[in-house]
Amino acid sequence: MKKILRLLFVVTAYATLLIGCGKAVDQTTDVSTNASVAKELTVGIPNDFGPINLYTESEDWINEMVYDKLMASSPYIEKPIPWLAEKVTKENDTTWTVVVRDGIKWQDNQKFTAEDVKFTYEYYRDGAQNRYTHHVNEVPSIKAIDIAKDGKTLTFTCEYACPQLDTITFADLPILPEHIWKGVENPRKVTELAIGTGPYKLTEYKAGDHYTLQANTDYFKGEPTVSKINLPIISDSTAMFNALKTGEIDISKRTVPTELESSLLSSDFKLAKVSALSIVQLGMNFTKEPFADETFRAALSNAINQDALVKTVGSGVSGVEGYPHKDSPWTNPTNKQPFDQNAAITAFDKLGYKDLDGDSFRENQAGKKVTFKLIVASNEPIYVRVAELIKKQLADVGFDVHVKAEEPTTFAADSNDKNYDLYVSLIGPHGAADPDQFIMSNRSGYLWTKDLSYPAMDSLQKEWEATSTAEARKAVSFKLQTLYNAQPTAISLYYPEAVYAYNAKKYDGYVETLGFGIINKYSFLSRAVQKEVSTTTPDLLSK
Amino acid sequence: MKTNSIMFVKKLLQYAIVLFVAVTINFILPRLAPGDPLLSFYDEGTLRELSDAERQHVLATMGLDGTLFHQYIDYLKGIATFNLGESIQYSRPVIDVILDYLPWTIVLVLPAMLLSAVIGILIGAYSAWNRGKKRDTAMLTTMLTFQAVPGFWIGMVLIALFAVNLGWFPTFGAKALVAPPSVFGQLKDIAWHLVLPITTLCIATVGSNYLLTRSSMLESLGQDYIILAEAKGVRKVRLILNHGLRNAFLPVYTHIMMGLGTLIGGAVVIESVFSYPGIGSLLYGAVNARDFILLQGIFLFITMGIIIANIMADITYPFIDPRTKKLVKKEEGF
Repeated sequence: MKKILRLLFVVTAYATLLIGCGKAVDQTTDVSTNASVAKELTVGIPNDFGPINLYTESEDWINEMVYDKLMASSPYIEKPIPWLAEKVTKENDTTWTVVVRDGIKWQDNQKFTAEDVKFTYEYYRDGAQNRYTHHVNEVPSIKAIDIAKDGKTLTFTCEYACPQLDTITFADLPILPEHIWKGVENPRKVTELAIGTGPYKLTEYKAGDHYTLQANTDYFKGEPTVSKINLPIISDSTAMFNALKTGEIDISKRTVPTELESSLLSSDFKLAKVSALSIVQLGMNFTKEPFADETFRAALSNAINQDALVKTVGSGVSGVEGYPHKDSPWTNPTNKQPFDQNAAITAFDKLGYKDLDGDSFRENQAGKKVTFKLIVASNEPIYVRVAELIKKQLADVGFDVHVKAEEPTTFAADSNDKNYDLYVSLIGPHGAADPDQFIMSNRSGYLWTKDLSYPAMDSLQKEWEATSTAEARKAVSFKLQTLYNAQPTAISLYYPEAVYAYNAKKYDGYVETLGFGIINKYSFLSRAVQKEVSTTTPDLLSK
Repeated sequence: MKTNSIMFVKKLLQYAIVLFVAVTINFILPRLAPGDPLLSFYDEGTLRELSDAERQHVLATMGLDGTLFHQYIDYLKGIATFNLGESIQYSRPVIDVILDYLPWTIVLVLPAMLLSAVIGILIGAYSAWNRGKKRDTAMLTTMLTFQAVPGFWIGMVLIALFAVNLGWFPTFGAKALVAPPSVFGQLKDIAWHLVLPITTLCIATVGSNYLLTRSSMLESLGQDYIILAEAKGVRKVRLILNHGLRNAFLPVYTHIMMGLGTLIGGAVVIESVFSYPGIGSLLYGAVNARDFILLQGIFLFITMGIIIANIMADITYPFIDPRTKKLVKKEEGF
């Protein structure tokens, strides 16, 4: 028996050594001496986005590797530049003309034309709904798109004044190839690999495993600086950073947790800190009392100490500057959601919420105990911690809060069905920094709903619609923001910062595009193009 | 022969009833969880803005628009025609999606289970023979520790030691992104990726095989025929394996067969730690996405796997232990 066991042990150990010591694949690829170009790069991503179909759940950064828009880089900057468009002109309050660039090809070698642009905008407006639909049929509302006889000039006509069509809509909507999407009845069922005009072509997608992007060598803005990008899907965060440390990946799309920063800094990695252009917020169910009452909401906002939250959480910048995100060029610089506990207590007393039974928690005007249900996604431990801190802060002003950490899909469903009193979650760049989306969010049920009367907000929105210049619209938007922040339906807790770790010896050409971090298409274009679209060099953490 | 056929048919009928109940539960369970399958297509903002007409249209394309009863009937019809529907997330036939992931699960779980069984049985038998001695105590303590320690922790320790610090093995995945040119190279690469996950799964499961074998062996070794065989001078190895283990093997065999039945379900936690693309990861993703159609398909595969394992166990019992043939006949009144 002993001999058998010994033999088994020796065989197992030998087999392990044989397999382990002889690596099957040489994982190292050529490391260019010039780290602003690379033959191949491996980017670890945490999620599977499907075959980059804009009608199923996907993310803007990967969409834009394959697709382009009329303007670049995004609606989160003040002055996007013409991209697929050669020239964009405002003719009058409701009319814009766009001249498309010549000589651009789709990645299947078909010619890009004005017809593709007209098709795309009409498809988003009239076809199946997706994230871009309301940007064409409501805010703004594009009535007609016509192509002139020259075949390259489009005329966009809006239902009402659309002074920011160039800076917001044209910089937000990816253009689809008409020759591929024209016959598609159910766009959600498209599983073929995406074809765009972008700098990278999706050449391989294995569900749950990886993507491969090959450089579009005919890209109209010049050949990308990295020839091939592999994107393995690594859902586990520990596995992701282990893979980064061992060199199996060159950069992680997942942001670095604070506790890992020092260990990564001590090795050969660079850590880039960027603004996530997002807001962690405390949302309220404004469809029911007491949150339907703007005075109550104002008082609740005063009860939240954002500075104290950030000190404890240890990440991000205090959200006291309110909503939208403070780094957005469309944000009123005077926005504030100040902390004033005494004002909050006084306001709650005046509203009739008093502690009648001496248990330190208030009862409502009818004498009934008030307990708020605060939901948070259980897979976000920091947000769960934030929720617990909110519970304590609200207890200090006399309100009992029950924190319920929910499995993510349940949380999403409860958020959608408004099965909560309060919630803690993150709103990304599209919600936190897009001025058109701010209007939409006040109509759609996210920050408010058009089904509920809100006279002050309704009249400002009418005023907003009536403005015909970008400056006038911005001014009214500032008034809307002032009103909103005085009685918010979502209190800005903090603005998270994102840290990305990468192997600089492999590639060091990353740039920050506001709202997209450093893994974005402009990081893989030439320095000249990067300067053109006003990208910035990211702040690096030092050792 | 006629007796055997009648018994076999009776068994099959029993399994058919089990399958029907399991299939019904498989249909109901995913639908009980709160959550919206449309979150696979839309972010929360877009979902909020979705018109009722659009919502109904999308649900109709997924086969989720009718009443629960109609969905159930369609589901049963689909099973009967081997059409398990189309995954909500992947927009591909469920069978195709499962068959993409299944081979990776089989190459991970099958060797791990067999290795765990062989090691557990041999060490369990040896430990039982040496009951009370230091070697038995040492083995028992080690195996109980393996049994108590979470599998994911074992995986993380192995990754930290052998992958990150020593660099001997990869930290994630089933194969290299850039496959080697030769078939042998590809097989070697896959084997290299499997070492740590298989080792983890083996360590996590060897304890139960060891404990069951040891306990069963202790009972067997206490029998008179063992004492007689020892007195007759039968060699120790033969005594342990042929006389002791052979008679103690049946419960262990049942445990192994049931384990093989659940093989198809993968090892969710281990696959998650290693970002390994097996059925466990697929199941986890489907639960998060509320992909009811895919969940139904996966649960059906798991159920079928367990039932087939049961059938195989029933068929092979008489070969493992001929005494069971006589016992069954006696119980059935033949």
